[in-house]
Amino acid sequence: MPEVAAARKIRLKVNGVAHEALVEPRTTLADFLRGGLALTGTHVGCEHGVCGACAVLVDGTAVRSCLMLAVQADGAELMTVEGLAESDGKLHPIQEAFVEEHGLQCGFCTPGFLIAIYELLESDPSPSEEAIRDVLGGQMCRCTGYQSILRAVHSAAAKLGAARSASATPGA
Amino acid sequence: MAVEIPKRLEDLPTSARRWVGRHVQRREDAALLTGRTEFIDDVVLPRMLHCAILRSPFAHARVVKVDTREAESLPGVVAVVTGEDALRWSHPAITAPDGWGTHCIAAQKVRYVGEPVAAVAATSRYEAEDALERITVDYDPLEVVADPFRAMEESSPLVIEEKGTNVMLQRVFTWGEVDRAFADAAHVFTEKFRWNRVGANPTETFGAVCEWDPMSLDLTVRGSIQSASHFGLGRAATFGLPSNKVNVKSHPHGGSFGGKGGTRGTDIACMLSRKAGGRPVKWIEDRMEYLVSGGSQAWDRHYIASIAVDGDGRVTGLDVKLVDDLGATGEGYGAISAAKPLAAFTGPYTIPVARYDLTLVATNKLPASPYRGMGPPPHFFVLEQLMDIAARGLDIDPAEFRRRNFIPSDRFPYTIPSGNEYDSGSYEEVLDKALDLAGYAELRRQQAAAREQGRIVGIGVASAIEPGVFDWNAYAVVGMQGTGVPEGATVSIDVLGMITVRVGFAMEGQGQYTLVSQLVADYFGVEMDAVRVVQLDTQSAPPSFGPGGSRLGVAITGAVLGACERIREKMCAVTARLMQTEPANIELRDGKFTVKGMPGAEMSVPEVAGTMLARSDLLPPDVDPRPEATHVWTAPGRAPADEEGRAKSYLTAAQAVHVVGVEIDPDTGFVEIFKYVVCDDCGTRLNPAVVEGQTEGSVAQGVGVALYEEYVYDEEAQPLTTTFMDYLIPTVNEVPAMEKVAVVTPSPFTPLGAKGCGEGAIHTTPAAVMCAVNDALVPLGVLAREVPAAPKRLWKLIRAARD
Repeated sequence: MPEVAAARKIRLKVNGVAHEALVEPRTTLADFLRGGLALTGTHVGCEHGVCGACAVLVDGTAVRSCLMLAVQADGAELMTVEGLAESDGKLHPIQEAFVEEHGLQCGFCTPGFLIAIYELLESDPSPSEEAIRDVLGGQMCRCTGYQSILRAVHSAAAKLGAARSASATPGA
Repeated sequence: MAVEIPKRLEDLPTSARRWVGRHVQRREDAALLTGRTEFIDDVVLPRMLHCAILRSPFAHARVVKVDTREAESLPGVVAVVTGEDALRWSHPAITAPDGWGTHCIAAQKVRYVGEPVAAVAATSRYEAEDALERITVDYDPLEVVADPFRAMEESSPLVIEEKGTNVMLQRVFTWGEVDRAFADAAHVFTEKFRWNRVGANPTETFGAVCEWDPMSLDLTVRGSIQSASHFGLGRAATFGLPSNKVNVKSHPHGGSFGGKGGTRGTDIACMLSRKAGGRPVKWIEDRMEYLVSGGSQAWDRHYIASIAVDGDGRVTGLDVKLVDDLGATGEGYGAISAAKPLAAFTGPYTIPVARYDLTLVATNKLPASPYRGMGPPPHFFVLEQLMDIAARGLDIDPAEFRRRNFIPSDRFPYTIPSGNEYDSGSYEEVLDKALDLAGYAELRRQQAAAREQGRIVGIGVASAIEPGVFDWNAYAVVGMQGTGVPEGATVSIDVLGMITVRVGFAMEGQGQYTLVSQLVADYFGVEMDAVRVVQLDTQSAPPSFGPGGSRLGVAITGAVLGACERIREKMCAVTARLMQTEPANIELRDGKFTVKGMPGAEMSVPEVAGTMLARSDLLPPDVDPRPEATHVWTAPGRAPADEEGRAKSYLTAAQAVHVVGVEIDPDTGFVEIFKYVVCDDCGTRLNPAVVEGQTEGSVAQGVGVALYEEYVYDEEAQPLTTTFMDYLIPTVNEVPAMEKVAVVTPSPFTPLGAKGCGEGAIHTTPAAVMCAVNDALVPLGVLAREVPAAPKRLWKLIRAARD
C-alpha cells in the first residue's frame, strides 16, 4: 500500500465565503465540504457519480463532488445548497417551487436537484421540456417519481421570469 | 377511560376544517431544501471514530485464519473486531422462521459475498479503509449453492449445517375445497412465472453512530432507522442486554421503503465502540456495500399458479405454488414478505377458495430484506397475468373479466378465503373512472390500427389491493408472534396555550409530521405552523413502531386524536367548574369551550390551559391538572391467526385500477409506456398532496421492477450488479407521465376513515405494465413470464416468435 501523500493547502470560496485549508490529495470534494467545512447539505448517495445527490456548482458548472478531489477545487468559487436561500431564511424561487409542487419527499436527493436546476435556469431561463429532462436525467430520486419535480422546474422558471420582468420594468 | 376517536372528517370539533383533508404544504420541507435537516452522516460526536468493514469475496468458504496484527499497528486505528469478537460478545440474529440467524461477523465460514469478516474503527473513514487492506484472511472455498431448486436436493451443500436442510419452511395452506373447485371448473389456466430479485435502494444508504458505555453497559444507537423500537429490541437480543439499556434515536432518513437494513453494521459498530472504550463509532454504508450486502434485495421468486374459471367467466379457485429464495439467512425478515400475501391473497375478486404452497429456501445469496409492499406485488403480478390469460382464453375483454369478478360494493366488510377482512370498497366505480380517464375504447381502436401496421402495442388493465395498517398476526405462519402494533403520541398544551406533540418515529419522507400538525390544528382551532412536533428516542417515547406496512398515517391519526380527546375531557371538566355547570354541558368547537345553549359563555383553549397550570385555586379537586395526554392506538378487532394462518390482519384494504399502454420496439425489445392512468381508492385522503406523491413515487418504483431493476448473480453466487451502472433505477426519462383520478370510500373502522396508502401503487404497477406487455405480445403468440421484462428478454421472445 503506497504512503498517503502529504496534505496540500487549498484556497477556495464557497457560497461567497473564503476558506483556506490543508487537505490530503485523496480527499474528495464531497468529503471536504461535508467534513472539512461542515457544509452537510451536500449529500452522498452513491459515491460513483450516478445518482447526482452530491452535485455542487464549481465556477458555475454543476459537478459531482464525489468524483472530484478537493485539491482540484483550489482557486475555484463554489456554490452548495446552503448558498441558495437568502441569509434571512427566505427561500430561493426554485426552493419555493419545490415546496408548492411537493417536489420532495425524504429530501435526501433534493440538494443535488436544486443545484442542477439552478445551473440550468441560469443558462436557459425558459428551458424546453427536453432540456429539463436532459438535466434531470442525471439526477436520481427514489421517492417522488419525478412528476412533481418536473412541475417544480416549470414553476421555478416562471417565477424567475416574472421576477426578471418586474425588475426590468421602469418604475415597477 | 374509553376514548371515542372521530371516524369521519365531520366528527372533528371544527365548523370550518382548514387543514385535514386539504392539499397542504409540508412543514418538513424548508429544512430539507436548505440542507439543514440532520441526517445520520451529518452527526459528529466528540471522540467519534469511523468504521469500515472487510467483506467476503466468496459466496461460501471456510474462514481459516484472520490476521489483523498489521492493521492494528497503523496510526489512527483504535479498534479491530473479527468473528471471534462476535462469538464472544453477541448472539446470532433472531429470525422468523426461528433459528436461521448467524453472527454479525462470520466466524467459521462465510455464506454469501459481502458477509463481514472483520472491521476497523479509526479516526477517519479513510484510515479505516486503509487498514482493511492490511488484514489478511485465509479462505477455504466450499461448494456454492446459488439455485433454490438445487438447494432442496439431498446432495446440496448446506448453507447452515446445523439445520440439516436448506428448506427454511415448507407449508401448504388450503382455504376451502380447492381440489373440487379445480375438478369442477369449466376452464383451468396454469402458468409458470419468475420474479427476479429487486429492492429498495433509498437514496441514503444505512448509517449509525453507536456508543457502548463500558461502565453502565448502556448502549446508544443513533441511525437512519425505520422502526426505532423494533431495532432496539433486536440489539438487546443480539448483545444479551436488558431492553431498557438500549436507547435508539432514529434520525430523519433519506427514504427507506422497508429496505434500510443495517443490523449487522450497527452490531459491528457497537462492538468496535466497546473495544474502543466506549468511544462513539460511526458506520456509514456505502452504495456498493448496500447493493451487495445491505437491506437491498427482496423477492427472488419462482411461481407455478393456476386459476379455475366457470362457464360464466367467474373465477372459482386460485392455486399458487411459490419457491422463494431467501438467501443465506433469515435475518432480513424475507419470510414475512412471503406470508403477507395472505392479507390479500385473492386480490379484489370474489374467488371463493384458494391454496398457497409455500417453500422458503436458503442459498448462498444475500439474505432477503423487506421492500415496499412486502410481498403482494409479485403475487399480484402472477394473479393479474392469470386473469388476463383466462380472459383471453374465454375471449372476454380483460376489463370486463375483472368487473365480473370484483367484490361488489354491498358485500363489505368482506372476508377473503385466507382470512383477512376487507373494510370497504367501490371497485367497479374505480374501474369505470380509470377506463374513462384512459379513453379505453379509443385506446383499443388505436391498438388495432397499430397492429395493422405491424407495431407491437399493448394495453394493460390491472387491479390490486393494498393491505393497510399491518398487524403481527399476519405473519404468524412464518413464526412472528403478537397481535396489535401500538402507536402512541403525547399532546401537551403549555401555560400559554402553545401545543407540542411528541412522537416516536423519525421523518422519512411521507409528510407524517405535517399530518400530525394538520390534525391538532383542526382539533384545537389553531394555525398548523403553531403546532410543534418533536421526536423522542426509544427511552422516552410512548410505544411506537413507526412507518411500515402502510400503517403510520392511520395509526398516528388514531394516536393524536385519542390524545386530543383525552385533553378535551379534562378541559371540559375544568371549564364546567368555572362556568358552574356540568362537564356534559360543555363542548369544544373551533378552539373554544362553550356552554351549550349559552352564546358568549366560552373560554379559549389557552385560557383553559393557563387555568389548569397557573390557577390551581380554581380547579376541581379531582382533576388532573396537566393539559396533556398520551394515547396509544392499535387496530381494533384483531385476534391471533388460526392454524391455516387466517386472521383479521391488515385493518384496511385500499384498491386501485391502473390502465397502461405500451409499445415494444421489435429491434431492441425496449418498452415505451405511452399511457399511464391511475384510479385509486384509499378512503379519506388526509393530505391529498401527500397521497398523490406516494402514488407517483410508487408507480416509478413499480415501473423499475417491471422493466429495469434486477439483482443478477452468476452460478457461483457472485453478484454482478454492484453499482448503479448495473442496477438500473428509473430516471425521469423512464417514469411515465401519469393521469390520476380518485374514488373515496371511507373505511368504517379507522380514524377519519383513512386507509393505509404509503406503499401504494407498487401493488398494481408491475402487474399492469406486464399485462400491457403481454397484451402487446398476443399476436406473436408468446408470453413474458419473467420480471423484469428487460429488453434482452423481450428481444429474445420476439425473435423466437418471428423465426
